[in-house]
Amino acid sequence: MSVDLKTKPVALSNRLKSTRAGGKLVADYWDRIFTAPERGATVAWYNGAAINPLFQAIGIEWCHTEAFGARLAAMHLEGPAQEMSEEYGYNRELCSYARTTLGCAVLAKRDGQANEIELAGMEGEKVLASRLPPPNLFVNAYAGCSTGQQWDEISYRLFDKELPLFKISYPLLWGNQPDAAYIQGEEWEEASRYVSAQILKLIEFLEHVTGRKFNWDQLHESMHYIKQAAQLRVEALELCAARPTPATFFDWVASIAPINFLPGDEKLVQYFADVKAEIEDRIANDIPALPNEKYRMAFDGIMNWNKVGWLADKFAERDVAVISGRYTHTSFWHEPQLLDENDPILGMAKHYLLCPFNHNARTVGNRLLHDAERFGLDGVVFHSTRTCRSASNGQLIAAQMAQQAGLQTMIFDGDVADVSFYKDAILDTRLEAMLEAIDLHRRAGA
Amino acid sequence: MTAATDRVNIIVSRLEAVCSDYIAYVKGWKERTGRKAVGVLPMNFPVELVQAAGALPVFVQESDEPVTDGRNLIYEYYCAYSKSITDQAAKQWLDLFDGIFAVDHCVALLGALDAMRFAMPSRLVYLAQFPASMDEQASVDEVDKRMRELRRELEKLTGAAILPEAISEAIRSRNEARQIVRRLFALRRDGAINLSARMMQAVVQSGMIMDAAEYLETMLELEAALADFPPVHDRKVKLHLSGHFCHAPRPELFDMIEQCGAMIVDDDLYTGYRFVSTDVAETGDPAIALRDWYFQRNVNVPCSTRAQKTADWEGYLLQALERSGADGVIILMAKFCEPHMLYYPELRKTFRAQGVPYLLIETEHEGLALEMLRTRLESLVELISKRRAAEASGQSGIKETSV
Repeated sequence: MSVDLKTKPVALSNRLKSTRAGGKLVADYWDRIFTAPERGATVAWYNGAAINPLFQAIGIEWCHTEAFGARLAAMHLEGPAQEMSEEYGYNRELCSYARTTLGCAVLAKRDGQANEIELAGMEGEKVLASRLPPPNLFVNAYAGCSTGQQWDEISYRLFDKELPLFKISYPLLWGNQPDAAYIQGEEWEEASRYVSAQILKLIEFLEHVTGRKFNWDQLHESMHYIKQAAQLRVEALELCAARPTPATFFDWVASIAPINFLPGDEKLVQYFADVKAEIEDRIANDIPALPNEKYRMAFDGIMNWNKVGWLADKFAERDVAVISGRYTHTSFWHEPQLLDENDPILGMAKHYLLCPFNHNARTVGNRLLHDAERFGLDGVVFHSTRTCRSASNGQLIAAQMAQQAGLQTMIFDGDVADVSFYKDAILDTRLEAMLEAIDLHRRAGA
Repeated sequence: MTAATDRVNIIVSRLEAVCSDYIAYVKGWKERTGRKAVGVLPMNFPVELVQAAGALPVFVQESDEPVTDGRNLIYEYYCAYSKSITDQAAKQWLDLFDGIFAVDHCVALLGALDAMRFAMPSRLVYLAQFPASMDEQASVDEVDKRMRELRRELEKLTGAAILPEAISEAIRSRNEARQIVRRLFALRRDGAINLSARMMQAVVQSGMIMDAAEYLETMLELEAALADFPPVHDRKVKLHLSGHFCHAPRPELFDMIEQCGAMIVDDDLYTGYRFVSTDVAETGDPAIALRDWYFQRNVNVPCSTRAQKTADWEGYLLQALERSGADGVIILMAKFCEPHMLYYPELRKTFRAQGVPYLLIETEHEGLALEMLRTRLESLVELISKRRAAEASGQSGIKETSV
């Protein structure tokens, strides 16, 4: 098939239908955030780990501002927030998540009491970026990335240091000692206890700030549902090892928001039960994600939110099934066996530490090789994320480890939320070269 | 040139030689003493522990060499320091260190440290991460724990017990050197000595490399020589240099600033006042004193790499300007330095509100467009000069703060 790679890729992947319901759940979540002031609800702005069950148990609204930055980028509506942040003085090389959400913070502070801003050139269209309600408090829970912590410190300053701010600190899972390995060793256990203790302090903080009693029964209940949903998600991920794969990494990207910050309840469980059921159905009826799967890949790095659909089609039109990803498969309650719903704090702490960007490079490489084995992969696509050092750390080492294990690798340039860093031609050339190398390798093997 | 000037120049030349080839200094020291050397990463490492173990603590410096081999381990969009130390490790230059240790939580620095570990498999590359959030009791407890761990690992590496008396002795000698350097800063601030920014940086930066006893001796010698050093006579535009974490700005940049008709009267550079700002308490448990030093440094000279609700860098800068009488600020920002990029708008907002003239200069590892910068600097100097003239004639009206 002749493909003109300069034009928009042809949509060839057979995306899961069940994930559309997630879109509705997520839209409802954001509507709830936008309307919080009208309802007199307390709103916490937070970044980093999925600490939402704690907010749920104290009975306040939780706004994952980083996810809002991702949503704006995915909807191609990040422009006004990023322009505002540039006007405020932020450099373009700064984390684009931070830039986008700090732009929203400036807008929220400036316009929170007034009206939403009109989008220039689009009459009647409101700027989504200006719809975040000003916060009542901040909680920072960013693992791995020092910028993540500093950015909430700056949000706090943007709001004149008048709002309560709580920070959770995490050690990078560095692995100093010989017994250190993925979820193993004394360092891991010690770090987990350290974070657990801080979660308990956070609960005290929330009680103090809101004047409410923390509802432990509610926490147990939501963690019960989250564990169920997480288990279903992990089982469904595993099913995608089938050849051809019934769903791709890009389907899993669509399921990040639900597992990351939606309430732990029956709807969440139902969502992942439906996703799993659709995948089982596809396997039973030989329905592949791609019409002609020829190559199987992993995607390493954080998402390029401006280009999710574009990339899905780009790979699909080359018969490349991107099956696993660091961001989708090694994050978001992905080790549900660690969760004890009746005593959930330690398991929650462990998951917060297991942020996919809180590992040392060798662990990143080893997890990649583990995925290559279980999903039968030919290669790895590394997203070199211009403004995210956290996601970029260790990638070049992991690439060397993958190459030594006989996997083909490629790196493309992009960014998490700033589309101007995405280089389409580089992706095309490198993808072409990688696929040729795989073909050569296969022919030599045959 | 007076004899005093000659003496000062000779001493500072020695220090500059150490800074320009720190690897050669460490090699020489190891050959001379037969002892171990430990590379440490900035900016908050408690070097007294290494010294107490009988080893030489050396802050790994940025090299002038272009980044080549390191490009296989770290992307281009990291700060100059992260790229350079990775490159030095990839070229095996850092193998002369018996171990590399770090305590600071900076995402780029930790990426570089991990790359160094990959490139130096025969060396211990150890992270005892101090929390960067300074507000919580949990952070204090964690630093305590990490300090004990660090001590244990350094004992293993050096084979020497780190005794409290040895830590106290290291604290005393380092405090004494810091105090001398702070006195030099005060003399420069007051116009009592005409010490160039290049020289001042060599004074501080060499202290990150040299043997503590040798450095202290040199500082005593320098202070004595400076007693007869000429004071400042002219009324140049007085500037404060701010920022530039982890590594030294190129001295050529300082020269150019001074050639533009300005003089540097103060700074909060890492290779400047920030490094010597805080002493470690000499009484009580020395381990606790080192812990408290970590927290106190950020109170004395706030740093945007730390997260502390009660510490304001902009507030510190306004006080520093008041103290030195500086007419304006040059913000030196290492390209890709996220904590600095994040905090810069807060500084800008304050300078604008207070009418403080300022200029942002971004530095890179390779290539410093000095001539382009010269034009911007000349504009800043001109702006300040006009203000001065207007103020002298009782006018007010020049409101611009940046060029």
